[in-house]
Amino acid sequence: MSVPEVTPAEVYYPNEPAAPSVQTAEIPGPKTKKALEELAEVFDARCAYFVADYDKSVGNYIADVDGNVFLDVYAQIASIALGYNNPALIEAAKSDRMISALVQRPALGNFPSAEFADILKDILKVAPKGQTKLWSGLSGADANELAFKAVFMNYQAKKRGYNTSFTTEEETSVMENAIPGSPELAIMSFERAFHGRLFATASVTRSKPIHKLDMPSFHWPKAEFPSYKYPLEDNEAANKAEDERCLKIVEELYKTWHCPIAGLIVEPIQSEGGDNHGSTAFFQGLRDITLKYNSLLIMDEVQTGVAATGEMWAHERFNLSPPADLVTFSKKFQSAGYFYHDPELTPNLPYRQFNTWCGDPTKMIIAGAIAKEVVEKDLAKKISVVGDYLYAALAELSKKYPTEILNLRGKDRACFIAWDSPSPAARNAFLVNMKKNGVNIGGCAETGIRLRPTLTFGKKHADILIQAIDKTLGEN
Amino acid sequence: MTKLWNAQLCTALGRGLRLQSTAAAYFPSEPASPVLKTTIPGPKSSERLAELGKVFDNRAAYFAANYYNSIGNYIADVDGNQYLDVYAQIASIALGYNNPEILKTAKSDQMANALANRPALACFPSSDYQQILEDGILAAAPKGMSKVWTALSGSDANETAFKAAFIYHAAKKRGNNTFSPKELESVMQNLVPGASDAAILSFEKGFHGRLFGSLSTTRSKPIHKLDIPAFNWPKAPFPSLKYPLDQFVTENKKEEERCLAEFEKVIQQWSTQIAAIIIEPIQSEGGDNHASPSFFQSLRDLTLKYDILMIVDEVQTGVGASGKFWAHEHWNLTTPPDMVTFSKKFQAAGFYFALPELQPSLPFRQFNTWCGDPSKALIARTVYQEISKYNLVENAATTGAYLYGKLESLSGEYSSIFNLRGQSTGTFIAWDMSSSAKRDMFLIESRKLGLNIGGCGDVSVRLRPTLVFEEKHADVLVDIAEEALKRLG
Repeated sequence: MSVPEVTPAEVYYPNEPAAPSVQTAEIPGPKTKKALEELAEVFDARCAYFVADYDKSVGNYIADVDGNVFLDVYAQIASIALGYNNPALIEAAKSDRMISALVQRPALGNFPSAEFADILKDILKVAPKGQTKLWSGLSGADANELAFKAVFMNYQAKKRGYNTSFTTEEETSVMENAIPGSPELAIMSFERAFHGRLFATASVTRSKPIHKLDMPSFHWPKAEFPSYKYPLEDNEAANKAEDERCLKIVEELYKTWHCPIAGLIVEPIQSEGGDNHGSTAFFQGLRDITLKYNSLLIMDEVQTGVAATGEMWAHERFNLSPPADLVTFSKKFQSAGYFYHDPELTPNLPYRQFNTWCGDPTKMIIAGAIAKEVVEKDLAKKISVVGDYLYAALAELSKKYPTEILNLRGKDRACFIAWDSPSPAARNAFLVNMKKNGVNIGGCAETGIRLRPTLTFGKKHADILIQAIDKTLGEN
Repeated sequence: MTKLWNAQLCTALGRGLRLQSTAAAYFPSEPASPVLKTTIPGPKSSERLAELGKVFDNRAAYFAANYYNSIGNYIADVDGNQYLDVYAQIASIALGYNNPEILKTAKSDQMANALANRPALACFPSSDYQQILEDGILAAAPKGMSKVWTALSGSDANETAFKAAFIYHAAKKRGNNTFSPKELESVMQNLVPGASDAAILSFEKGFHGRLFGSLSTTRSKPIHKLDIPAFNWPKAPFPSLKYPLDQFVTENKKEEERCLAEFEKVIQQWSTQIAAIIIEPIQSEGGDNHASPSFFQSLRDLTLKYDILMIVDEVQTGVGASGKFWAHEHWNLTTPPDMVTFSKKFQAAGFYFALPELQPSLPFRQFNTWCGDPSKALIARTVYQEISKYNLVENAATTGAYLYGKLESLSGEYSSIFNLRGQSTGTFIAWDMSSSAKRDMFLIESRKLGLNIGGCGDVSVRLRPTLVFEEKHADVLVDIAEEALKRLG
């Protein structure tokens, strides 16, 4: 007896639209325009694509105030895990635990609730292999900066002895923001990397000038991230040489940088910077070099994490030995923070890694609910199957449009797929025209188009997406 | 006639209700005094905290709270103890535990929607976001401020304000939107001219957060800063006033003049541009240090003179506790500050501003994935509406005056408490004790007696109760404080 498989989207969203519905000739439509004019009086609205109606959004479809309904493969910049108005998340949002966490948000470091350990354990159930503890923050940038703080404190602790007291000179100089209390230490990052926009994270972000201009910045080292030739299977030797070239630069920086490099931060797939991939050998090479130079390895899984690439955490695919020292998360998990395992990454004294809220239980409850759904519904595996199907269809389409779909990448990475347009102008026009054809889709770097759908994106959605791309490119 | 009578009755009832007790209206079952069932921390607390410690740094935890059983001004722990809470989650609970109006907001469909479908606000704002802002965060805006940028915490609020300040000054200098090739190239190396060498000036003992930019301006204690790389930014002294104020008028005036002179000297001598100063109306973490309105007016004058932006950090002082909605409103500045940051009691965070140029001329510069959080903006709206409805700012002022009077008597009787401060700043009251050890013992003794109370600075005790803290709570507080002082000897 063979029963056709029911997809996660069908289970969650019996009322999900069968197709996009575009009601206005222009996107944004008139109601969005009016609403944005009003919003702009009090809030910077210039980045807005449209004003959304989240009551009417369902599953993989986002509605706007003009009545347009788009298939959403951008999903709030890769941060909607299960789809809009997911019943499991609505249930979590209405739970007693959630209500209490909203009404009396605790200062978690001082007054954790009795159930806080349980809330954390729901997240830790899906911790990356080798990670056993976590410290929570509020956003990806926050998570990364907290990780940097842990790294710097650990570096100094190793030098001074974990339980050794601070010197008077350290305590005096730090109040002047001067050495030795405020040490000169660095975090290494990669060209085209994106790790956030606060001051330390903007210092390691190397995606675009507009992300960094006019901000004071730490003078920290930047290595090169591999630029592969595609398709990978036809360019193995060249890409291997590229890995080696980049690893050599990393090692050279460790040898020559003017101050110690306490940590290295890297994304499993550079996302904002253009969906740039690195091989397992490259990442294991980074692990080996960081160990050699007594530097910690931070995997930034803010965009790649939570099953988007078909593994719960994208870097688990690399099977790093030993595991990464810290793994940061945010976006699809709604909650943010870093996983770690070395007890000495917890500072020697309380109140060093500390702030008022130390995270937000409301977001952790959502993260726990997402983790449960991902595991129970086997969403990582299911999105991989859909990704294989989608990738194959895009590979076909790229033969039809060989000058429009370039450097298709993300094979075997579920729906974490991207390609390049021939020019920034062509890319931007493509994104606009896709909306007219009912698909909300995002770009990355100068010419990249990235797919960041939810984990309930299915084959039927993939078909609609492919048709829309075909139509949009065919209209050229 | 009947209608008029009804209206009068309603007003009278409303006033009566307020006179009686807003806390009683919200929390009919609020305890009359602390309930103590075990030693503090109790066995269940210790067990829960040990469990937590396996996966999360628990060393700063006082007890494991039971928030379901917490009510109004009383926080419960898992052992069944109920403490009068004048620390209130480090000054971040505005309306008391399990406030029925906040509960209503939390249970609303609008909230469930905001939680289940968190938008990337700048790209895909929700249709209700503008209204939520206008009815809440913006309705509460300080005088002279009409716009807001939302963030996630006090640190985040301050850092986004710094970014606005840096971008503002660079744009002013550049005069147009065109970045030079040299800027575009150097910024990717984290070098000038694309990266800025400008600075934010802060004050000794100031606290503005613990991320890398905000931590560079935080000057409270070494433990907050040690081992973290910092920007080489300038600091100026904050007045150390002598108490009681009326006995040291001349000395304190001189102290403020000294600090202002020093401030101006730092500005004149600093080698790079100072884009902004950041200052708290009352330095809170740093020890509840106050300064006079004229000190702040002079700072405002000097910032204008030197073309430096003024950021007032109202993360801890804001939202009513000082007896004004925003503590800087006590100063009556002739020109409002350029930016005012908020968080804590508002749950939502961000900064207010007025100058349109504080919004960068290009989109995607002041930007990130979420740009705030509508679920917190919904809470902020209810907080603001309830404060207005029940005149809770006035309540903080009158309760504060009552409490201050009682504490003044206490400090007359017990020589171990001195430098009582906060005379006309609502419940935002603090005092010093003779040593850190003594202060810490006082906090522990108080907790054992059912009072959850916090410290700040090296030797200070600070009161940060909710806005529904009333005279009856003040009486309990003073009784316990006195008992704790007795026990300390």
